[in-house]
Amino acid sequence: MISMWMRRQLTDYIAKTLGTAATLFGLFWLTWILWTTVSKGLPALKWELFTQMTPPPGADGGLLNAFAGSIVMSGLAVLIGTPLGIAAGTYLSEYARHTKLGATIRFVNDILLSAPSIVIGLFVYELMVRQMGHFSALAGAVALSFIVLPVVVRTTDEMLQLIPSTMREAALALGVPQWKVVRQVLYRASMSGIVTGVLLALARISGETAPLLFTALNNQYWANSLLDPMANVPVVIFQYAMSPYEFWHALAWAGAFVVTMFVLMLGLLSRWLLLNKGKIS
Amino acid sequence: MNDVATFRPVDIGADANSNADEPDAKITARNLNFYYGSSHAVKNVNLAVHNKRVTALIGPSGCGKSTLLRIFNRMYAIYPKQRAEGEVLLDGANVLDGHYSVNRLRTKVGMVFQKPVPFPMSIYDNVAYAIRHYEKLSRADMDARVEESLRNAALWDEVKNKFNQSALGLSGGQQQRLCIARAIALKPEVLLLDEPTSALDPISTAKVEQLISELKTQYTVLIVTHNMQQAARVSDSTGFMFMGELIEFGPTEEMFTHPKNQKTTDYITGRFG
Repeated sequence: MISMWMRRQLTDYIAKTLGTAATLFGLFWLTWILWTTVSKGLPALKWELFTQMTPPPGADGGLLNAFAGSIVMSGLAVLIGTPLGIAAGTYLSEYARHTKLGATIRFVNDILLSAPSIVIGLFVYELMVRQMGHFSALAGAVALSFIVLPVVVRTTDEMLQLIPSTMREAALALGVPQWKVVRQVLYRASMSGIVTGVLLALARISGETAPLLFTALNNQYWANSLLDPMANVPVVIFQYAMSPYEFWHALAWAGAFVVTMFVLMLGLLSRWLLLNKGKIS
Repeated sequence: MNDVATFRPVDIGADANSNADEPDAKITARNLNFYYGSSHAVKNVNLAVHNKRVTALIGPSGCGKSTLLRIFNRMYAIYPKQRAEGEVLLDGANVLDGHYSVNRLRTKVGMVFQKPVPFPMSIYDNVAYAIRHYEKLSRADMDARVEESLRNAALWDEVKNKFNQSALGLSGGQQQRLCIARAIALKPEVLLLDEPTSALDPISTAKVEQLISELKTQYTVLIVTHNMQQAARVSDSTGFMFMGELIEFGPTEEMFTHPKNQKTTDYITGRFG
């Protein structure tokens, strides 16, 4: 009896130790990455970062055009991807939940969700850049929207499926047509979850480099049109980090720091939204 | 199938089911069968629900009483592989007919479920929600309608000062009365209550039962309940269901004092179920 009790205690102890060790191992690298970003990025953080354009080698400057470009393209990608994603997710959850077609679409969407972003970049390069003959912000936004889309489809689908069927029944029992029930009751009940999905998608694309490398490329100056190549933070970080200039390195670290903080903030915001689910309506 | 349907009324259950042609029937079920895929859940039920009376359906779990209720507003139709056969006549018109608009049916036949499900919106909007879809009312008219519905659901005094608060903040009993208010706001003719008090505490249950007796002055009420005392307290007629069949149907008092069928006797005296 006692030996079995001791053996279980020991097994428990070993499992707990291994689990803790694995967690610490993972956290160690994460902390290191964050620490490096903060320690190298924070000193390079200056007001000029947000007011001046990317400089040529040897001159002073900031990342204004890159930030603006990232905001424009990410924003546009969210604007394209969100309505499509919500509509598709709604179709999957509300109209095709138990059908073969729905299961197939869900499967294909999951493939798109895990598609390497460079493949998406190449696809949009063929689709838009080659047709138009030049790189453009629009192509960049489309490439990013291909990353937003499956994330929003997935979260919308899942969040709607989480709503108990009793809510649907209660609303339908009032003789209200299904499309109105979806729009006025179900969306409201799953709002915080869907918004979280959009925020996570935004977080995901803010650091994407590969799809932009083939589409928006980069621009040392301010882009006046969506049809021009456009600067963006990830590609500028890539370019400056690869350069031999100390000042460019500092800018790259500052850019990385800002992007990391932005993503961290989005993560916290989505956490908060989910925790306060139901309290906001 | 047809053979069975024409044969059954003269079967053993024939006496129990013989009220199907009463003149003041609001809802009449004729040879009603229901299937979940291949499982036969309601078997050849004939039933008349009297106008402006409370009719209770009792029976052990899985006997088909809730299923029967969900046929009357075609709630089953939102799920694949569920189908009903036979006729359900509402004022003479067969509501199972594909031409009978399901949304029109549901405005005439309201339903309140086992668990209260307030919509994630304000108390006011919960009640006004379905009205807005069917009627264009002025602000004042809508206010009056919402107040009337809440008064009829015996909830007005508890919520009149917090209309704009989320309905999710109400207690379970209040939420259930809100669901009743929401259903009667559409001025239906029939109310289907699917174990409306099974999730409520005794005080809330008493309030809802009190409410049910008041509702029958305006509505035809059909209530499914697990609680035989409740059926005895609130209903005028009672039907006993067992394994998908309507075993016995009659005035509540008779059902509970002189049941005709042995199965009914066994159930009522607590020998099974």
